[in-house]
Amino acid sequence: MRQRSGSWGYGMSRLSSKGWFNNLMNIHFRRVWFRAVAFTFMWWMLTEGSVNSWLVGTPVVLIATLISMVLVPPFSCSVVGSVRFVPFFIWHSLRGGADVAWRAFHPKMPIAPDLVDFPLRLPPGMSRVFMVNTVSLLPGTLSVELGANSLKVHVLDTRKNVLSELMTLETIVARMFDISLQDAKGDE
Amino acid sequence: MTPIDLLSSALLIAGGVFFLAGTLGLLRFPDVYTRLHALTKADNVGLGLVVAGLAVQVQNWFTVGKLLLIWVLVMLASASISHLIARRALLRGIKPWKR
Repeated sequence: MRQRSGSWGYGMSRLSSKGWFNNLMNIHFRRVWFRAVAFTFMWWMLTEGSVNSWLVGTPVVLIATLISMVLVPPFSCSVVGSVRFVPFFIWHSLRGGADVAWRAFHPKMPIAPDLVDFPLRLPPGMSRVFMVNTVSLLPGTLSVELGANSLKVHVLDTRKNVLSELMTLETIVARMFDISLQDAKGDE
Repeated sequence: MTPIDLLSSALLIAGGVFFLAGTLGLLRFPDVYTRLHALTKADNVGLGLVVAGLAVQVQNWFTVGKLLLIWVLVMLASASISHLIARRALLRGIKPWKR
């Protein structure tokens, strides 16, 4: 609950005290629009720009937008942060693939796995889910369980310093979701 | 063979090597967690390279978009499913293998 009040407080601080209701509605509508445009683009791509397909496409886009708003509540997301994330992700997932491939091909199979607890600084919500999924694709780490304030990570080689890499990832994810990181609380 | 064909075959072969590594890891690694490492990461890169190898050959931007969409969706599915399998394994009390 403490976490939740924190993120609510954060949301409020972005709104000016005057006309906050209008601001809230604007932010909300901007997100609905953003998703509708994204689904429209996807439909356009899948049907290769066929004009006739919009007879089906228009209701599909509308329904997809509605369902996505219900299933995934709106979250803030920074465009600059997201663009920065892409090269970081591609480079590190390449490294991750090469690393695990090398270990699989190596005759002696150099692995020293263990579970590691990583205290999370990200607030609960979309950014954490995103972090959990990204951790599994980066070098030598696999997210096992998301606790209240920490993430249990399976590490393929404990001789490497994965914690600092996870912290770098966390910072980049935070920038992507427009979040300022608090101090880690851990689960203890 | 045009340079495009050459680049495309290099990317496809590299992708195949990563898929081979992922399968080898699945067979050689000692427990469920380490096997998930091999599958998620090596296959993600393998599929990425295969998608890139096909994307340089196609004439049409729509197809490039579709290929990228396939890669993103497979990545999303493999990351979330590997997390779910690992979580279930831990909850069932499967201890990670240690050297």
